[in-house]
Amino acid sequence: MNSAVGEWLATSRQKLQAGTLTAQDLDRLAKLVETPRQLVLYLYSKSTNMRSALASWMLYDATKPQEPTLPSQEAPYESVLDAVADGWRIVQFPDAKLYRYDDVDNDYLGFEFILEKMI
Amino acid sequence: MAVIEPTLDDAGVMEFVATGFVLLEGVLDDAFNAKCDKMAGGNIDAFIGEDEFTKTVLLHSKIAGVARSLLGEDFLVPAGGHHHLYEAPHLGQTWHSDGLSGLGYDVTELQCYYYPQAVEIEDGPTMILPGSHCRAVDREAIAHYGDIRGQMSLTVPAGTVAMTRYGIWHKAGPKTNDRRRGMIKFSYHRQAAPQRDWKIDAPQIPEYQNQPRLAYVTEVESYRDRVRRMRTWNWLCGLDEESQLRWERSRPVSEIA
Repeated sequence: MNSAVGEWLATSRQKLQAGTLTAQDLDRLAKLVETPRQLVLYLYSKSTNMRSALASWMLYDATKPQEPTLPSQEAPYESVLDAVADGWRIVQFPDAKLYRYDDVDNDYLGFEFILEKMI
Repeated sequence: MAVIEPTLDDAGVMEFVATGFVLLEGVLDDAFNAKCDKMAGGNIDAFIGEDEFTKTVLLHSKIAGVARSLLGEDFLVPAGGHHHLYEAPHLGQTWHSDGLSGLGYDVTELQCYYYPQAVEIEDGPTMILPGSHCRAVDREAIAHYGDIRGQMSLTVPAGTVAMTRYGIWHKAGPKTNDRRRGMIKFSYHRQAAPQRDWKIDAPQIPEYQNQPRLAYVTEVESYRDRVRRMRTWNWLCGLDEESQLRWERSRPVSEIA
């Protein structure tokens, strides 16, 4: 059992006996048993270093309606490291071997870090 | 036979080489814009092939002048095209290049976007990524990119034509209103072998003057960009392959006194 739910049950049993259990306690339980949903953030770093500046970014948030938002030149973070400091977990690091180039030609733009946050 | 004078000089061509586009703002008049604005979306080969569109747009001195500058003499004038029309709000297209990206350093096709009405940011303007025209890509493999530093939304006055090197990354931007936003797309093509026959002041071919680094570009990419641009410039000037690939500002030791 989820430890937070276990704590809620212990506290709520006491409240039930004392007659102080409220609807707010039930709302809290509802929050605790919600399945966490994944936010996905693509960050394109200017190198494989997590401190590098960002070239591009894209947030996929399935928790909200998919509506158009105006383009922006402002990255959500200065670097991948800043995103990690804000609670994002890296689920894919760029593999330098996949970034092929031939002489002066390439077909990619920045080094792809994929991050997630469960909410 | 229509005589078209080139309008770009060395500096203008060098800028195109770096960015992959020329923007001609408000060059077409309101009456013709209004006529085009009424067109239905989809294929409009017949409309583009008419004399009126050809004379008013395709042979317009400023538009055709850029085509003449970048595609040489007797370039091919479009006989068809497409009207991309949006009205309802939408998320926007994903980044893509059209068809085959155009690998290499040549300039053989100019893909043009004509806006019969003014375009504001809420209208879902076409977005382009300056400097992306030389990256040969699988168009489906760049669809996950979102905002990119240095991207450009073409918020323009009515009657504007953007002329791009075929292969530039672009997309319809996110649209947040219900206003009609159309764009007529058509392409000019090259027939002539490349030579420096745009507007020139002196016969000597100048060295390529590198342009500012683009915002999304990494350290090594700025180095690659410089070489790619130099090769495109040399190709446009009609220099032979050996000259095209010669390292700029270098000369054989035997030429040094």
